[in-house]
Amino acid sequence: MRTLSLSLAILLTNASALLAQEAAAEPKSGLMDIRLNLMFWTLIIFGILYWGLRSWAFPAILGEVDKREKALQDAIDAAKRDRDEAQRLLEDHQRQIEAARGEAQKLIADGRAVAEKMRTDLLEQTHHEQQTMLERARREIEAEKDRAVAQLRREAVNLAIAGASKVIEQNLDNTKNRQLVEGFLASLPAIQTSGR
Amino acid sequence: MRYRPLSLAIFAAIALAAAPLSGQQAEHRAQEPGAQLAHKALGPADIIMPHITDSKKLELPCWKGWEEWGCEVTLPTWNVNLGGRVVDFGPTKHVVWLLIAAICTGLVVGFAARSHRRSSAAIGRPKGFAAGLEGVILYLRNEVFMPALGGHGGEKYIPFVLSLFFFILFCNLFGLMPYGSTPTGNINVTMTLAVVTFVVVEIAGMRALGRGYINTIVYWPHDMPLYLRLPLSVILTPVELLGKFTKPFALTVRLFANMIAGHVIILALIGLIFMFGWLVSPLAIAMALFIMILEIVVAFIQAFVFSLLAAVFVGQIRAAHH
Repeated sequence: MRTLSLSLAILLTNASALLAQEAAAEPKSGLMDIRLNLMFWTLIIFGILYWGLRSWAFPAILGEVDKREKALQDAIDAAKRDRDEAQRLLEDHQRQIEAARGEAQKLIADGRAVAEKMRTDLLEQTHHEQQTMLERARREIEAEKDRAVAQLRREAVNLAIAGASKVIEQNLDNTKNRQLVEGFLASLPAIQTSGR
Repeated sequence: MRYRPLSLAIFAAIALAAAPLSGQQAEHRAQEPGAQLAHKALGPADIIMPHITDSKKLELPCWKGWEEWGCEVTLPTWNVNLGGRVVDFGPTKHVVWLLIAAICTGLVVGFAARSHRRSSAAIGRPKGFAAGLEGVILYLRNEVFMPALGGHGGEKYIPFVLSLFFFILFCNLFGLMPYGSTPTGNINVTMTLAVVTFVVVEIAGMRALGRGYINTIVYWPHDMPLYLRLPLSVILTPVELLGKFTKPFALTVRLFANMIAGHVIILALIGLIFMFGWLVSPLAIAMALFIMILEIVVAFIQAFVFSLLAAVFVGQIRAAHH
């Protein structure tokens, strides 16, 4: 397409140049004329335009774009930083929770162990106390029994002595003495059984 | 899209209706020799050449009846004596359109920049046209020019290539406007822009390479023995120099020829109406319209290509390490 249009253009311009020569009444401007004024004005106009665009328009647009890009980049960086921070905090918290859970487990286990120990201790102590009480009761019973036996014995002796003294006091006849002692002895078993 | 079948049908109907009529018209014209003379007076070359070449006459829209819709203003002549040669430094048609294009570029980009700054300050982002222009500028800067210019100071040339792009774009587009003219269809304008680019490229080379800049002119390979280096330098230095000057030449001719070609085709197609009578006008206008739409694309492409090549040349010379 381009080649076609170019060749057509060249053809037409050549033809028109020929036609222009034919009718060369006024000085016609050709396609390839070098004109200093046009170059001069192109330079001036493009120079001024370039200066204007470069000093104001493009810096304005590109500056705003850069500013916006920087703001976006900052926002992205800040978001990334915040996310890292949040991640770090989350990990921290998780670790803390783990630690707390371990602690709690340990506490519970400790408590359980302590309770168990306390229970066994208490049981043992109770058992011990019970034993002690039993022992004491038994000892007391024993002591009481001993005392009762001793007392009984003393009573018996006293009785014997009283009986004997009665015998000696009365000392009238053997029959009477005998009667007395027998009477006493007859009354004795009942005391002995009751003392036991 | 919905109207395409409809418009196609209308176009076909007009073309079919015109076919038998054109025969009658030719017959009718043959009887009137004066008519042919009148058509001859408005030959295509006489219409095309004044439209695409520079002149001291500026066309302005005005109403002089149904026959003529334009009037001409003769621009002032400012003769300056340059060493015995008198040169007219007064404005010409293309100077006026250059000025209009520059003012429009400045206004459009300037107002967009102002709006951009205001709305960036107000809501943190541009809106409307400024946002669109920002998109264009950012695309050109980030995707096109910066990769070509290269880093480490390449961004200093961004305003230059962007200015080139917008200025050439407006110059190109003004040629497609009625009564308008394309300054970039004038070889003097494109040559000046190419020379400016050339100077910028060379200055960029000097700034980037320092003393190494001389190596972009004189070929002097450091990693070769002297007996190879000398003949190579003798042979390749002219090539290097030639390469330096081909670049602006290529820029000059590319833009100029592309702009001229499109306008010549459009004018030639419209000229068909004057050659063969008004009955061919639907076809001629349809084809001219097609080329016109193509030309809008070409206007953008050529502005883009010129500025891209300027950026590429600057990038090349900045990266030149022999």
